[in-house]
Amino acid sequence: MVLFALRRLNLLLFTLLMLSVVAFSLNYFFPGSAIVNITGLVNATDAQLASYEKLYRMDQSVFFQYLAYLRELFNGNMGVSMSTQNPISEELITYLPATIELSLAALLLAMIFGVPLGFIAAIFHNKVTDKAILSVAMVGYSLPVFWLALILILVFSITLSWFPSSGQLNLLFEIEQVTGFKLIDILLSDSPYRWQAFQDALEHLVLPAITVAIAPMTIFIRLARTSMLEVLESNYIKAARAKGLSNIKIIYHHGIRNALVRIIRDMGLQFANLMTLAMIAEVIFDWQGAGSWLIDSIFQRDYTAIQGGLIALATFTFFINILADFIYASLNPVERYTRHATR
Amino acid sequence: MPRDKIYIEEEFPSPILQLWLTFKRTPVAIWALFCYVLLVLLAIFGSFITPHSAMENNLDMLLTPPAWNADGDISYLLGTDDLGRDMLSRLIQGTSLTFGLSILVVVCALIIGVLIGSVSALTRGVKASLLTHFLDVVLSMPSLLLAIIIVAILGPGLTNVLWAIGLVLIPQFIHITRNAIKEEQQKGYVLIPILDGASELRVLVTSIYPNIIDKIIIQATLAQSAAILDIAALGFLGLGAPVALPEWGSMLANSLDLFYIAPWTSYLPGLAILIAVIVTNLVGEGLRHSLKLQKEN
Repeated sequence: MVLFALRRLNLLLFTLLMLSVVAFSLNYFFPGSAIVNITGLVNATDAQLASYEKLYRMDQSVFFQYLAYLRELFNGNMGVSMSTQNPISEELITYLPATIELSLAALLLAMIFGVPLGFIAAIFHNKVTDKAILSVAMVGYSLPVFWLALILILVFSITLSWFPSSGQLNLLFEIEQVTGFKLIDILLSDSPYRWQAFQDALEHLVLPAITVAIAPMTIFIRLARTSMLEVLESNYIKAARAKGLSNIKIIYHHGIRNALVRIIRDMGLQFANLMTLAMIAEVIFDWQGAGSWLIDSIFQRDYTAIQGGLIALATFTFFINILADFIYASLNPVERYTRHATR
Repeated sequence: MPRDKIYIEEEFPSPILQLWLTFKRTPVAIWALFCYVLLVLLAIFGSFITPHSAMENNLDMLLTPPAWNADGDISYLLGTDDLGRDMLSRLIQGTSLTFGLSILVVVCALIIGVLIGSVSALTRGVKASLLTHFLDVVLSMPSLLLAIIIVAILGPGLTNVLWAIGLVLIPQFIHITRNAIKEEQQKGYVLIPILDGASELRVLVTSIYPNIIDKIIIQATLAQSAAILDIAALGFLGLGAPVALPEWGSMLANSLDLFYIAPWTSYLPGLAILIAVIVTNLVGEGLRHSLKLQKEN
């Protein structure tokens, strides 16, 4: 396990290093001078810029510039946004939690519905139920997320008016931002109306979460189906059947547990996919998260914000990937030896 | 006319022919292939069969509902948008933009990816290990996020979107080619031409490529469904095709503020994207299914 952990952490380190090289080189790819792109100070005087050039060692070779850039990055200094002139790190702290909240809610939805449906499909393999679930999964997998969002708004908020169509919380509620996670903030606040606010926030969450969850859910259906089918083929299931256990007992005691382990392996990869979908959903549902912030900054040519968003979102997905790997390895001892550790 | 069999001989169809023989036995897959070919034809010849021009405004016919509606007009079968442009014509011409361009992008990415993948499969040591690490990094990023970032560097526009999506797809092809070649190299039949003195390149072209092409094609269908969705998504976000072009994603974005009074302007382009993606996915699924059947036999 230690060797496995070291290998994975090594890979993470390498990955993050690569990412920082890419982010650093962006300063030269973006139009404009490199020092302005790094710091984001578009209105700075020459004297100010000169002092920053010294900080980032712009007079030395590219390698030392990169080291200086890394040092500032580790100090949490990502420059200021070109459009608002606020520090990028502060903006990220405000916007990133909303994206994570939306993604986690969607992940939860996708797993709660996707995994059991996949199991059901596997249990009724090659029967009508299986085929119906698979066709639904195929359609769900092919749905363009932005179109799904529009249809959901049209049906549930305009025609039926069950759920609000945009925003995170009704403007009537005044909730102070502590963690950035709306639901946690509401519970932490001492407002007398916090339970109403909580309910309101949940209602705002429903449509975006469903939008983001559909495509990953279909992937979970397929994953759960394949892994359950593989498990049901294996010898220990045959042994259990030979012992005379009923089908329900076999699936409940042996099938589900062993099949679930394999799904966790792919959860990390799905989370990356989910974050991208969340970015688009944020734009449509006017959700104040890192995704809509990043897309806005592309329109405003806010290069420091693009860079910061890239670093933050990518680092976050990498961490989730590694986390999923660790959970998987700790649940499934076989994998520790076959995967990255021995090869 | 089939060839007369004079000698009793066993014929071994090539791997790609075998794939086709099993593929054509599933009706759903054949239907999907038929629709796929239809979409390709629409993408090529679409501009010749449209009833109206995709850009032409008819100011007397603003927001005409589809023909089956009471207020509809049969000469505008699927209605018009807020500038009086015929929806059917726009959708047909959009086929060449969203669907046709996605094929082009995938083909370019496939050629470059297979070339780099083959080179990397033949090299060993530090270079190859660096490449795999690099691929791991790129592959763990969601394709749309990468495309958005590349568009951010290049600036918005349809050409830049195509570059971005192509660049994003290349690593997938490198990865799959490299792994497939490595896998084939372990097998016995590759050893025979090597013992005959064939060069590595010749072994690759004559022995390995025919046996991995099915995997690459399957990857291509997956890549294409992602490419369609990405082109449309970037168009929808306003980073891709300009508003005037009938690209399905940007058509949808145009209809955002209309979709309560004229829902057909938003559900029709969405349906078009959905159908294109489903058809591509079904073809890919059919191929994968027949490959699996082959392995089992």
